[in-house]
Amino acid sequence: MRGMPVTGVRLIEAEQAPLLARRFYANGDPGPIVAALAQVPELLEVTMPFLDAALGPSAVDARTKELVILRTSAVMGCRYCIQTHTVAARNTGLSVEEVAALRGEAPLEAAFTDAREHALLRWVEVVAVGPGQVPQAVRREARAWLEDPELVELTLLVGATLLLNRFCTALELPTAPKVLGRLAAEGWR
Amino acid sequence: MTAVAEAVADEVLPGRVWLYANYHCNLACTYCLTESDPRAERRELGSQRMLALAHEAAELGFTALGVTGGEPFLLAYLPELLARLAAILPLVCLSNGTVFTEGRLERLRPLAELPAQIQISLDRPDPDANDAMRGPDNFRKVMEAIPRLVERGVRVRIATTVTSISDEERARLCQLHRRLGVPDADHIIRPIVRRGRAVDHGLGVDAGPADLPAELTITTDGAFWSPFGPTVHGGRLDTDLLVTRTIMPLRVPAAALLRLVQGRPPGTDSQLNIR
Repeated sequence: MRGMPVTGVRLIEAEQAPLLARRFYANGDPGPIVAALAQVPELLEVTMPFLDAALGPSAVDARTKELVILRTSAVMGCRYCIQTHTVAARNTGLSVEEVAALRGEAPLEAAFTDAREHALLRWVEVVAVGPGQVPQAVRREARAWLEDPELVELTLLVGATLLLNRFCTALELPTAPKVLGRLAAEGWR
Repeated sequence: MTAVAEAVADEVLPGRVWLYANYHCNLACTYCLTESDPRAERRELGSQRMLALAHEAAELGFTALGVTGGEPFLLAYLPELLARLAAILPLVCLSNGTVFTEGRLERLRPLAELPAQIQISLDRPDPDANDAMRGPDNFRKVMEAIPRLVERGVRVRIATTVTSISDEERARLCQLHRRLGVPDADHIIRPIVRRGRAVDHGLGVDAGPADLPAELTITTDGAFWSPFGPTVHGGRLDTDLLVTRTIMPLRVPAAALLRLVQGRPPGTDSQLNIR
């Protein structure tokens, strides 16, 4: 075995789906995050509803949430999440230039001129990278533009994204073929 | 009354918790669910953990224990452990009946005073037919072991696992177990389940959650729907009947199993005599 490449984790296929995981397979391929979490079904059944609530439709608009998810993933260098959320961000209506900037392939300042979004992106970077306290200037700017419920939700969203970044990178989850096809068609890596 | 105790009393949940003591075995039966053989990884639960699980099972309201493997009697500590487990809850321990040395039989004597049964596999009334499935000399060893257990007062149950059996063979098998001191009530005939090594030999019947009683089954790999759940095929553990990876505290898999059972659509009670 020495010298052989060690892959991330075995993804559970539909016919081996544990009992608590079966509902996640009901509509076909549930994707690699579910298929990996299915190794521990009692965690799958609490993690997915949390991720759905944190990353899915909520009181905060989809564009703002994709800014947070894609920027956090880019800062953390998570290949799976960057690729998946490049497509998600484009589907949400973000422009090619905005997505490229969030991915770190173009200056953020040129792509994002809205003061609220600028404040949010600074908040995201500080929270995601850490460590330690958020600098007063960044905190002041964020508090000026974001209400308490927004700040709580978006900070939690950074945390949820970090969880996914670490999970997907450490376990080498493969990007879905559909996503890879779309990225190739649009000229993304 | 706990939710488990209520569900057991209402017969929503079977009362028995199964403990997979180990996965290795001195035999390599053609229909073995767990691909057990002498080289199989042991994956022992261990005596302390089995005792802790038994205590919690009793606290939760389960009413019986089952110990299986592998061949549990390959574990040196098993006779004394069985007595301690049977003092907590009534138990049945499954065995192939081929490793009962005189010393081990003597150490099992305390079970005569406890609610404990040893279930021994005997598939055919003829040595050749029996040993074809279970390995050379199996029939003779079982024929020797059963009366020696019975004469020490240990209650023996015989399990016959077959794809089919003729009336004539069944009659001779029953004559045989009666002669060995095992009454009809302690003889069960059950189908081979097409999992584990049985898949490779094209044996048995398919069985899913609707066919198998939801008997909480604890292994080193997690908690399963049934003792027919933690099967191994091609060296890989099947996860289709996995309930949780958490086995302790037992309330975690017990609660998950209860939720699954209560979520079952009506009319899906077990149809196969798989116990």
